Amino acid sequence: MSLRTVRWAGVALGALGVGLTLLFHWQVFFWVPTEASMGIVQRIFYIHLPGAWIAFLAFGIVAICSAVYLWLGDDKVDHAARAAAEGGLIFTTIVLTSGPLWGKIAWGTWWTWEPRLTLTLLLWFIYVGYFMVRNSTDNAERGKRFAAVVGIVGALNIPLIHMSVQWFRSLHPQPVVARPDGPNLHPDMLTTLLTALLAWTLVFFSLFLFRYAAARLESAEELRALTRASKAPGDEVPVP
Amino acid sequence: MNRFWTGVAAIAGKDLRVELRTRERIAAMGAFVVLTALLFNYAVDRTAVHPREIAAGLIWMTMLLGGLLGLGRTFELEKEDGAFEGLMTTPLSAEALYLGKVLSNTVILTLITALTVIVFAIFFQVDLSGNPGPLAGVLFLGVTGFTALGTLFSGITAGTRMGETLLPILLFPLLVPLVTFGVSATATLMAGFPANEILGTLRILTAFTLLALMAGVGLFRFIVEE
Repeated sequence: MSLRTVRWAGVALGALGVGLTLLFHWQVFFWVPTEASMGIVQRIFYIHLPGAWIAFLAFGIVAICSAVYLWLGDDKVDHAARAAAEGGLIFTTIVLTSGPLWGKIAWGTWWTWEPRLTLTLLLWFIYVGYFMVRNSTDNAERGKRFAAVVGIVGALNIPLIHMSVQWFRSLHPQPVVARPDGPNLHPDMLTTLLTALLAWTLVFFSLFLFRYAAARLESAEELRALTRASKAPGDEVPVP
Repeated sequence: MNRFWTGVAAIAGKDLRVELRTRERIAAMGAFVVLTALLFNYAVDRTAVHPREIAAGLIWMTMLLGGLLGLGRTFELEKEDGAFEGLMTTPLSAEALYLGKVLSNTVILTLITALTVIVFAIFFQVDLSGNPGPLAGVLFLGVTGFTALGTLFSGITAGTRMGETLLPILLFPLLVPLVTFGVSATATLMAGFPANEILGTLRILTAFTLLALMAGVGLFRFIVEE
């Protein structure tokens, strides 16, 4: 795919995503019925759950791209992994800020050792480690490989971490959408939630494409700078 | 295949021989766990809770923190005088290098863990007589899983500017299963329950250790590659 196509796809997905984000905010504030037991605060749900969905989706993309990068060594796949990790870190942060705000009112506490909340916090730290490894190597190629290893090992470990945090009794509401007997949710609430999920998935992929295009441009520019430097007479070629 | 295991043994033998002669890592880790246990005596309010009652968790955390001290220096010797490049020019495969390092780290950390348990038994009258065999098994499994993951990440941090300071940031989030199930199994055994009570926990600990070893064998190549 040419860079121009990537950027236009990013613009299109972004415009649609932002439009739908405005729409679902209107739904959240003016349209959807208020939940009976938790009251008005339950409306955080419509940004909390899509954020969590993106956080884990992004981590899946990071792990797959990391494995493909180690296999093929193609820089483009590494750019994709980094773009997904950046998006994932943003949405994980959204989950971690909206969760305690909701929890403070619904459960009366900012933090509980609730399985999914704990898992998200650990996921956030794995993302942070991913970027710290990448940014603290002098050799860029090596940083990419190190980060890929961190991404893969993190993803392999997620199921076991999930089992461990489940060990503690759960305060978190049980799944309301992905249930074997169909969604247990007011139809208007479901519509709002699905709009929000779609909106943020589009926003995520738009950010992903923009970051991917930016990374491609950066590496092309670095290559150009290197070629220029090697052509200038008397100059030493910088070792990458 | 035989050559492969000879390589593993050669790396582990070299590291252990160096350790036996300098005693640097083992002395630092040993002093660390004894002093940590000493500080726990003052950190825990004995009128509220006796350290004996939370011994399983304290032993595991002391072992992990002490182990981190040694694991972070796994590749310290190789960093000097181009020793690592020398090692890479030998016919030794990356997988053999990894497993050799895991082996030597496991031996050292097993000794440190034994010391930790003895120190806790003496300082806080922790009763170990109930299930000594299964208890040793659980701790050994935990040590192996910890070193398997720690050696892989130590290879990564050795190649970064941040060095050892980065190790806990990478390692700790992934150690949650080890701590959760390791401490739970240890506490169950220390409370005198029979060993078949911890079969489920043991299965997850084994899965963690195998997964860590497989990830290390499969991915270590990409860390040492130039």
